[in-house]
Amino acid sequence: MNWTWFHKLGSPKWFYQWASKWAGKLVWIGLLLLLIGVVWGLAFAPADYQQGNSFRIIYIHVPVAMLAQSCYLAMGIAGFVALVWQMKLAPVFIKSVAVVGAVMAFIALLSGAIWGKPTWGTWWVWDARLTSVLVLFLLYMGVIAIQNALDDQVFADKAVAVVSLVGVINLPIIKYSVEWWNTLHQPATFRLTEKPSMPMEMWLPLLFSALGLYLFSAGIAMWRMQTEVLKRERKANWVKQEVMSDGI
Amino acid sequence: MQKSVNLQVNQLYLERGDRDLCQDLTFSVTSGELVRVAGENGAGKSSLMKALLGWLPIESGQIEYKGEDVTVHRDVLLADQLYLGHTPGIKTVLTPLENLRLYCPEASLQALEQALEHVQLGPYADIPAAQLSAGQKRRVALARLWLTDKPLWLLDEPFTALDHAGVLALEAHIKTHLDSGGAVMLTTHQTLLTLSAKTVELAAA
Amino acid sequence: MNYTSFFKAEWLSLLRRKQDTLNALLFFVMVITLFPLGVDPSSEFLAPAAGGIIWCATALSVLMAVEGLFKEDFNDGSLEQWLASGLSVSVLVLLKVLAQWLMVMVPLLLALPVLAQMLFLPWSSLLTVMGSLLLGTPALFLIGAIGAALTVSLRRGAVLMLLLILPLYIPVIIFATGAIRAAQLQMSVSGQLAILAAMSIVALALAPVMTAISIKASVN
Repeated sequence: MNWTWFHKLGSPKWFYQWASKWAGKLVWIGLLLLLIGVVWGLAFAPADYQQGNSFRIIYIHVPVAMLAQSCYLAMGIAGFVALVWQMKLAPVFIKSVAVVGAVMAFIALLSGAIWGKPTWGTWWVWDARLTSVLVLFLLYMGVIAIQNALDDQVFADKAVAVVSLVGVINLPIIKYSVEWWNTLHQPATFRLTEKPSMPMEMWLPLLFSALGLYLFSAGIAMWRMQTEVLKRERKANWVKQEVMSDGI
Repeated sequence: MQKSVNLQVNQLYLERGDRDLCQDLTFSVTSGELVRVAGENGAGKSSLMKALLGWLPIESGQIEYKGEDVTVHRDVLLADQLYLGHTPGIKTVLTPLENLRLYCPEASLQALEQALEHVQLGPYADIPAAQLSAGQKRRVALARLWLTDKPLWLLDEPFTALDHAGVLALEAHIKTHLDSGGAVMLTTHQTLLTLSAKTVELAAA
Repeated sequence: MNYTSFFKAEWLSLLRRKQDTLNALLFFVMVITLFPLGVDPSSEFLAPAAGGIIWCATALSVLMAVEGLFKEDFNDGSLEQWLASGLSVSVLVLLKVLAQWLMVMVPLLLALPVLAQMLFLPWSSLLTVMGSLLLGTPALFLIGAIGAALTVSLRRGAVLMLLLILPLYIPVIIFATGAIRAAQLQMSVSGQLAILAAMSIVALALAPVMTAISIKASVN
């Protein structure tokens, strides 16, 4: 089998040039979609018949929570790639995405708490989903912490790959166990899952803001990866040329 | 039994953080040869050994052992070598004898005691290694050289902790090893007293 | 070096450091003592909470025992010798964890009946507590070994290791305390215990490999 495409993807230089073309576009398109989705959702979509206007926070909360999980999944896959194929770019990806994911998990917790106050009358309940997002946030912080603690680049790259992979294997187990624990503890008083099926005019802005946030974050992550690639390949000739041509 | 060694290193490129340790380094280690890795402090002598053992990633280059490409999988090379690093893996809660028994389980008690005699540690055989000096601890590790039949020795600064007599004894033992078809690759700051070596120079680029 | 001589040397080293084992046990006792002192000493609180208290104390003691698992091996160059030996580092890790597990868990299980009494744990559920510890703690040790290997080169790695590893302990703690609660309600516990065993088996398959990768990366 021909693996050249795979090695090409792993080449920092090729990635840098590819990302230069796309990162900016992704960020702006994503931002536009996100803006449309959020403004539409907050100002024009009809109010929920049960929760009133407070439900509108889903236009932020749901995309953010989705992204927080997707980021970790992507990091786990990158960890696997880093360990098996030793691809140079995989640890760069993990390092860049970890921060984005951690921020998303944090916003998800925060917006969840803000939503919880008017809806459930309390900032926090030990709901299965809330607990697993909290654990997810801690897993992100673990990746970031070990990345910062280890000075040796080679060891740090291996370490984040191991932590991401171990985390992604554990994530479903944690989720399952927390759900099981939750049903044991309390009957389903406050379940986020029992939403009335949404009408189109509520659902469409959600789609816009979710798609927008994904694209926006992908662009931001690519920017972060570009910076990291420049830093790591600082000795390479193409980096020197790149920096010179920017007039620095 | 005649030992045989044939290690070929081709156009090795190593870097550590920001520094190039070597570029296009080509050398060989074959039966009967003593190879000395030379270079200033921090030139990457230990790193070169670790790269050969497969612990430090290689940027480019190729390593062959006995005609087999071992650049990706070092198993064949690992099976044939004995490595003693800066810190040679001596457990301080165990006695020198127990330490040697860990590394050389098939040797008889008599052989173990003899090996300790060779490094002038005979009387210390049953004292916990925590009570030995740094030099004595290193000598416990060196005693393994009298107990092994591995053809390729990779020794990182083996002479640092030895007195004059100790150096002579070790050099004599290395000589016997070379004569029997073995090979040694070592790093040292000291001049070799009785042996002549092929030098691999690690110069900072 | 071969696997037998390695295990013998590990076991001997642990025996020479009896104080470390004793410290882990004392730490376990201390954490358990904190609950009646800090929350509520009445049997109405302690009896139903005993299982959870014992498991939290166990998880913390295991982390403390495992945290420095490879530190000395890293400092004295033993890790390099493991890698140079040509033996499977995963198997060496497994043997080392096994020795450590025996050294920590046997005294802990022996002390448990007394401590369980101090927490007013009903006799009927003591067996379930012991069973959950036997089946669940291998997973704690094996997962902890990954964290120990990752933080081996850090001088103050303990807190980082807690941050990395404790979230991964959550499922084990949930099912273990679930089993104990079920036992106190006279319900069947085999399901939860089977899940604990399954988690230990998965950890047995994956954790030594991950630990070996981290050990290899640590010596460069």
